[in-house]
Amino acid sequence: MARLTPTLLAAAGLLAFLAFWEAMPRLGLINPAFLPPPSTIPAAFLKEIRLGVWSEAVVSSLSHYVAGLGVGAAAGVALGILVGMSRGVEAATAWVVRLLRPIPGLAWVPFAIIWFGVQPEAAVFIIAIGVFWIVFFATQGAVRGVDRDLIEVAQAFGFRSPLSRLTKIVLPAATPGILVGLRTALGQAWMAVVAAEIFGVPGVGARMMQASSLLSTDIVVVYMLTMAGLYGLFDTAFVALQGWLLRWRP
Amino acid sequence: MTVNAITADAIVTITSLSLAYEREGRRNVILEGLDLTVRRGEFVVIVGESGVGKSTVLRVLIGLARPSGGSVRLDTRPDCRTPMALVFQDARLLPWRRVASNVAFGLEGSGLSGSQRLEKAREMLALVGLSDFADRWPHQLSGGQRQRVAIARALAVDPDVLLMDEPFSALDSFTREGLQEELQRIQARTAKTILFVTHDIDEAVTLADRVVVLAGSPGRVAADMTIAVPRPRRRRDGALLEAARQLRAELSGRSAEL
Repeated sequence: MARLTPTLLAAAGLLAFLAFWEAMPRLGLINPAFLPPPSTIPAAFLKEIRLGVWSEAVVSSLSHYVAGLGVGAAAGVALGILVGMSRGVEAATAWVVRLLRPIPGLAWVPFAIIWFGVQPEAAVFIIAIGVFWIVFFATQGAVRGVDRDLIEVAQAFGFRSPLSRLTKIVLPAATPGILVGLRTALGQAWMAVVAAEIFGVPGVGARMMQASSLLSTDIVVVYMLTMAGLYGLFDTAFVALQGWLLRWRP
Repeated sequence: MTVNAITADAIVTITSLSLAYEREGRRNVILEGLDLTVRRGEFVVIVGESGVGKSTVLRVLIGLARPSGGSVRLDTRPDCRTPMALVFQDARLLPWRRVASNVAFGLEGSGLSGSQRLEKAREMLALVGLSDFADRWPHQLSGGQRQRVAIARALAVDPDVLLMDEPFSALDSFTREGLQEELQRIQARTAKTILFVTHDIDEAVTLADRVVVLAGSPGRVAADMTIAVPRPRRRRDGALLEAARQLRAELSGRSAEL
């Protein structure tokens, strides 16, 4: 019973939220064209599916998402390790990092278009930039925080090269911190997907812009919820993977 | 045994070892002119107050600290890949590896296959009485069990000399005494040369063939005492108590001089 109560409260909260949302346009407090009541969403959803638009947009966005996440995370982990393990590299890159770090992903849109055209590569690039910084800083911090005592263990057993230090101690010891960064990036990357597709690369973001220019706000909401659902799916899968990878922790 | 026969059997010969470093313009001398010889198969215990450089001697031997002077000569087997292995004060197991994999750690890169390494790890776990714990994670073990795994890990690489840096000092006295007995049993079976550091005089006389007292700043050998009590030894045996009394006198005498 004690464990059931929070679930019940959560469900009640969600219902109350939906009821409030439904009531606002129905009572005429908000123009339904500006905020479609939730009861109209399933119909809009079915229509999008029947037209085949939904699955096309989702598949296209997912491919940007996965590719951007993969490229950004791989680069972030690799450079984060390099900078985290070497004081020299850290010093050499410090000002470059400071210069580039504050530039938001969206600011790269002009270059993305010039370099890649209105193509999936441009969306992947923008998503990857956002992911990169999160994973880079998480990795660098995790590598820096690796227990010196464990590195001594490797040295005492004759593993003295940087490569063996990396594979035997640094990488496994930094994994929890790296995974935290990846999980944050998992959420951030969806934001980047919308941003990256707004300028026309086909996908969920592009479809939302299309719908909003036609004032089809119910379709906009369909895709907002679609993204929430996909994020929930990815996050759940990631947490399961994380739990398995870190099963050695108490 | 004659004195000559003994020195001919030296496995570790440390000659006028010094270690000093500079920090903020000040020169800190940890060790100066330290001489120490350990014979093959001998159980030598270094005792001394904290800060006297006991652990530094082991860290120099294993290559974790660089001496500023002097020499270390090893007469280990020429084919020995890992002439020495160190057991740290805290077990320092790798938390992301299961117990057996921790024990096999030092064997990686030795040319043994994965299954051969695990085979060896199981053998060592049996030696320290932890056969049933091979698949556990380190956090599932007690402090004493973790330290036994650390001993198994060090023995797995079959070192000529086993270095132990206050390995039992973080354990409760009950566990500590159990492990002291276990270590003597392991030494009787493996005939390893052991160089053991502690600040516990009773532990030193219980374990040692020979106790070396390190004192002063910088640390030097202040006394060298053979504990000629036959094994297996009974704890708080009269002869051991007498040896401990002498060592205490030696140590307090040295402290008074400082």
